[in-house]
Amino acid sequence: MPLLDTQMIIIIIATTLIGGLIGLDRTAVGQFMVSQPIVAAPFIGWMLGDVTAGMIIGACLELIWVLDMPIGSFVPANSTVSSISATAIAILGSNGVAPLSVIGFSLLFTTGMVPLTMIADTIVRKWNSRLSDAVSASHGVNTRSALVRAQFLGLAAFYLKSSILYLIFLPVGIIAIGFCAHLPDSFHRAMSFFVKLLPLLGAAMMIRNLSRTTFDIFLLTGFAMSAFMMLTVQTPVFTIILLIVMGVLLGARYSEVWK
Amino acid sequence: MSYWGLDIVKSGNKEIGTRNLFTLFLRALLIQASWSFDRMQSLGFAYAIEPFLRRLYPDTKEYESRLKLHLEYFNTQPYLAAFILGAALRLEYERTSGHKYDSDVAELKTALMAPLGALGDSFFWGALKPVAAAVAIAFLVTGLWWAPVLFLVLYNIWHIGLRIAFVFWGYISRGDAVELMRRCRFTRLAKLFKIATLTVLGGILGLLPAWRPELKPDVNIPGIAIALLSLAITLILLMALRKGSSPVKLMLGLAVSCLALAYAGVI
Repeated sequence: MPLLDTQMIIIIIATTLIGGLIGLDRTAVGQFMVSQPIVAAPFIGWMLGDVTAGMIIGACLELIWVLDMPIGSFVPANSTVSSISATAIAILGSNGVAPLSVIGFSLLFTTGMVPLTMIADTIVRKWNSRLSDAVSASHGVNTRSALVRAQFLGLAAFYLKSSILYLIFLPVGIIAIGFCAHLPDSFHRAMSFFVKLLPLLGAAMMIRNLSRTTFDIFLLTGFAMSAFMMLTVQTPVFTIILLIVMGVLLGARYSEVWK
Repeated sequence: MSYWGLDIVKSGNKEIGTRNLFTLFLRALLIQASWSFDRMQSLGFAYAIEPFLRRLYPDTKEYESRLKLHLEYFNTQPYLAAFILGAALRLEYERTSGHKYDSDVAELKTALMAPLGALGDSFFWGALKPVAAAVAIAFLVTGLWWAPVLFLVLYNIWHIGLRIAFVFWGYISRGDAVELMRRCRFTRLAKLFKIATLTVLGGILGLLPAWRPELKPDVNIPGIAIALLSLAITLILLMALRKGSSPVKLMLGLAVSCLALAYAGVI
């Protein structure tokens, strides 16, 4: 199949429309967290026929961006656009099931685009200032209609922002993956290894934000417990449930004194 | 008259009841629909409370002046905005119904938005979201496909439950934030969730031998050694982050290092 044929363009447009809707959850509507990478990426992966690629991308990006918080006027990296773009680029660029090296490259490509997503978010939020000015300038019964119009224009602006980003990132990323296919095997090995390191980077980022110490006692306790369980019982689901119970018990015991 | 602990106050067509407060909750879901840098959530706040102002103030001029009041700068954590909305509606109601009131709506909003913002950011964004994500990722990396659904359930049980309750508590207590904090103990819960997150994160690294094959290193060494190696790499990356490296730069640096190792024939 040629890189960008009619079918591909239709899929890109469909992904753009759905991605825009998912992106609304990020700031504008509800914040039910369907826009988080761990949900958005597997969903897009399932929609495009490779849920595994979506799960790998979702897990990596969730760990990396989960504590990048929208506090005050700070505009965090748009992990929704990154995760949906990375998943769609990897799957569409591979014409089906995405190899790990392609997943690695698409993650790298969308990471490079993160500053652009932040700029786009900033532009929309600056533009929204005009909406509040318009409502303030209205009088009498027009104030209500100006308010409702402003709210829906704000929603449209957030939707359009995500959609435009997808319409740029997806074709460019898919074409870039087409070129990567001709690169030597060492490049593909490097990208596969990169994917395997990303969860560790994500874990490090979460630990940095959650604990002041590098050798955190709760982290090391969780590690020791699960390593021991894997050596003895070798049942991951049972181990995880035990970890959660232990985490809650430790939290209940030490939350009064922990700083 | 009391209903589920909520005073349903009646005065002609100005009754504020459970259904009204639920409508307020639904409209509060759009509090950030037109978020802007200068007035932040002010349009969303005014949009949520507007139908009630229209009912409470039949006089157009008074309605407009009250609506404009709610268009002033407002910013807090979006979930806890529901508490302030409930309180603001109660004060607006009391203002029109001849009840004795001793608080000004604008003052109340200004007094509550910063402390509740800090509280909500630290609890919802800084503790609840990471713990739900860590638990879901623990299941996801070991290959369980329903982990994203688990994340949504774990998060939204708290989120939706509390967000609805905030509207009611704000209305009932007239914005008594001290009572809210006593009832919810957010600070302690946040610490509990953070400790649980760190424990589960450590566990995720210890579980590395059981990770799905796509994410597990292809090296022929015992499982416990792979887990120890992953812990060591994580702690090295953590030290790099503590020295001030930005996440994006560190990701790009990792990719360059992988390329260098691959071209050198190490991997």
